[in-house]
Amino acid sequence: MNDQPDATEPLEEEVRDPYLEYGTALAERLGGRAVVEHDTIRIYVDRSNWVETIRRARDEEGLDFFSWLTGIDWSKDVEVGDTVAEPDELEERFEVMCRLSSVEGVAGAHFIAALPKDDAVIDSITGVFGGAEWHEREAHDMFGIEFTGNPNLSPIYLPEGFIGHPLLKSYPLLAREVKPWPGTVDVEDMPPEPEEPAGGGEA
Amino acid sequence: MNEEYRALMHRSEVAVSVELQTQDMTLNIGPQHPSTHGVLRLVAQVDGERISSVEPVIGYMHRGYEKLAEVRTYAQMTALVNRIDWVSGFASEVPFIVAVEKLMGIEPPERAQWIRLILTELFRISSHMVFTSSYPLELGATTPLFHVLRERERVLELIEGMTGGRFHPNFNRVGGIKPAAGGGKTQKKVSMDIPEGWLEATRAAMERVLLSTEQSDTLVTGNELFKARTVGVGVIPGNKAIEYGLSGPNLRASGVPFDLRKHEFHLPYDQVDFNVISAPGGDCYDRYWVRLQEIRESVKIVLQAIDKIPEGPLRAKAPRVLKVPKGQIYVRGENPKGEFGYYLISEGGQKPYRLKIRSTSFSNLSILPWVLKGALVPDLVAVMGSLDFVLGDVDR
Amino acid sequence: MITGWFWADVIVKVILALAAMIGMALVAIYAELKVMSHMQHRIGPYYAGGRWGWAQPFADALKFIQKEDLVPEGADSTVFRAAPYIVVAATFATFVVIPFSPSLVARDLDLGVFYLLAVSSLTTLGVLMAGWSSANKYSLMGGLRAAGQLIAYELPLALAVVAVVVQAGTMSLVGIVEAQAAPITIGGLSISLPFLLTGQIVSFVIFMVASVAELSRIPFDMPIAESELTMGYLTEYSSLRFTMFFLGEYAAMISMSAIAATLFLGGYWIPFVSETALLYFGPFILIAKISLLVFFILWIRATWPRLREDQLQDMAWRWLIPIALLNVLVIAFFKVVVF
Repeated sequence: MNDQPDATEPLEEEVRDPYLEYGTALAERLGGRAVVEHDTIRIYVDRSNWVETIRRARDEEGLDFFSWLTGIDWSKDVEVGDTVAEPDELEERFEVMCRLSSVEGVAGAHFIAALPKDDAVIDSITGVFGGAEWHEREAHDMFGIEFTGNPNLSPIYLPEGFIGHPLLKSYPLLAREVKPWPGTVDVEDMPPEPEEPAGGGEA
Repeated sequence: MNEEYRALMHRSEVAVSVELQTQDMTLNIGPQHPSTHGVLRLVAQVDGERISSVEPVIGYMHRGYEKLAEVRTYAQMTALVNRIDWVSGFASEVPFIVAVEKLMGIEPPERAQWIRLILTELFRISSHMVFTSSYPLELGATTPLFHVLRERERVLELIEGMTGGRFHPNFNRVGGIKPAAGGGKTQKKVSMDIPEGWLEATRAAMERVLLSTEQSDTLVTGNELFKARTVGVGVIPGNKAIEYGLSGPNLRASGVPFDLRKHEFHLPYDQVDFNVISAPGGDCYDRYWVRLQEIRESVKIVLQAIDKIPEGPLRAKAPRVLKVPKGQIYVRGENPKGEFGYYLISEGGQKPYRLKIRSTSFSNLSILPWVLKGALVPDLVAVMGSLDFVLGDVDR
Repeated sequence: MITGWFWADVIVKVILALAAMIGMALVAIYAELKVMSHMQHRIGPYYAGGRWGWAQPFADALKFIQKEDLVPEGADSTVFRAAPYIVVAATFATFVVIPFSPSLVARDLDLGVFYLLAVSSLTTLGVLMAGWSSANKYSLMGGLRAAGQLIAYELPLALAVVAVVVQAGTMSLVGIVEAQAAPITIGGLSISLPFLLTGQIVSFVIFMVASVAELSRIPFDMPIAESELTMGYLTEYSSLRFTMFFLGEYAAMISMSAIAATLFLGGYWIPFVSETALLYFGPFILIAKISLLVFFILWIRATWPRLREDQLQDMAWRWLIPIALLNVLVIAFFKVVVF
């Protein structure tokens, strides 16, 4: 664990980014692809290696603190909210994202596995982290992702008999269908004033 | 009791159980129950007073914040996120605002950062005092509630004096903090800063808070009956706590001295001196003790921050309409309950593309079935209370 | 010969005792509200009745009585309805033998102490009935806890009383008070002292612990245990029946304190007061002693959390009963050998 980033170290030289170095090295060791931005390390792994990577991250890299697991819906069909920046180039998919970190320092990474939309199945990591059970159930509720091997994949938030997966981009926000959120109207009408200071900067 | 005797007892127990086969009773605890802190439901299988398994049923308070975040602009979000864990609203605002600031490349002024730090710690004190007051109540002691909440009121008054709200301050703005309440147009300069005399009032209130922890010490901490109910009850070993993602005081009480305030410095925690409190036992008593000591450490931090807070503006220049550049970021902070983080995916618009809220209590609660296996019904209350969860934080 | 006068006498006595019991229970409720408030830096009841909120217990009782008298659908209706009466009747029956002054006692039974122990345990029967008949799991658990508590704590309670009976040489409560009033001679000095100061301190402690347990008050209030079993055996009760349980609980607290005061603190008697004066002041002296003990019980409630059921059993069987047995032996030894 000597190569974990040290946040106390001032980043004087532009070249040296401890998070980037750590992330790239970590991805190399675990067999994934690293993307590091804003000190946030993302490691893309194949879904066939999902459980194995998580286990190795825990056992070999000391990332033994299970922080959370969730899904992301990358979709062109957006019912509510913003679309992605370039919808045409988007490859539609689910991503399962799991954050592991260490309880000794700032080391931590987000492991991401992409799943095709029509086959959203991935192995459960409950065998590695017992705490993942609830998080997987939540992702199952919200995105409809199947976690094979989860001992109890029943709905955790949604009532019984609920149809649909609320966090899908294609799922409408029914309350807003009935009555639009007034705030959105405000913002759209407001003229952009990027130069004017918004607060009390002059004190 | 020696091993042989224990084995004998076990054998006789088994013999009896085979003869008298009893069926477990399903006991529904909640959603409306005095000690579930809101609307948590536990389906427990009990054999007499002993719990053979317990299954928490959550979601009664699910408000869909992650979905709502996708239709809210960044500026509107702070009003939402401080309602996740309503006992420590401000502390959950900060990581979100910091995430947006980092994506936009805005550095908030020093003074704003220190004010954020002070408020975070005040909310920590307030949250922990809710715990130290209500936890003895769950074990049947009514008096500590009043003594502790009386002093907590002073902290809430401070928060109200600064932000105008007691629970939901909605005080953070991208680039700094909201100009404090009060004053008219003519007093613009005055109204832009924190209220006059606020720092002195804080200092005085901290004295009272310390006094209240002393009172808790004499009334609760050393109480033999309190110890009988909590020591050795609901033991969570360190490795289990890590596996289930427990964080904050719950993790530290299991002998893992991990405090994000010592590692993540988006608030100037590196410039204040404080100790990370941890206890080795992992039982209910340690979880109580750690929180009580953390109140003292927070008081220490607040007093140092009052001395160190620099003069200066409260807010950096930020565009009125926030368009956050494309990017993904995870920012976490030490909420009173533990690691609280936001994974923010921006696609360059006015609203987040996806906001994952890592709420503390969800993970903290997920260990409940494991830790309650084989416990007694009264222990259920003791353990549940000691985990200090807020249902809004569990369900989001 | 049963004449009309006999019945008139009985009716008057019953009404007086009932009034005394309810009156004292109401005062106890008010005391609890006020004493606990002040211990918790609160004011407590303030408006009802005009001054110091003295009418708060009446207001509470009125409010409870106004509520709908519910019987759960699955409940055993007869048992459910009967349970509160048993609790109140049993508590009321204990007042029969408590002497308020040398002459003011409903019935001075020769087996007064025995009668007390028998009758005061009946309250638990009522509680068990309530818990069982409510068709509610919380109620059932509360009722069973109450039964377990009774079995565990009846023993030390009885043993503590046995020690007193051994020393007094009588089972009549008036006789016990008189035994305490009788002077004893220590080194040429003749004084009379209550049993508490003449070797019954251990019995007193055991008696108080056991009676707090029998009363199901904190730290032994597991049958109710608000944070665990919502309200235990009281969960399904409302209206008048709840009020009866409520009054019964406080009346039982008074009666237990009265018994303790009679057995250990000398009852209506205090030293240096003449027999004739006791005839008039006896009741007040007893009430003062009761108040002291009630205050003590309230004080405990404001201070301590509640124990766990297994810890309570542990304490009874592993500590109180052996100590109580030993205590009886020691007292008997002194009684037979020394005096």
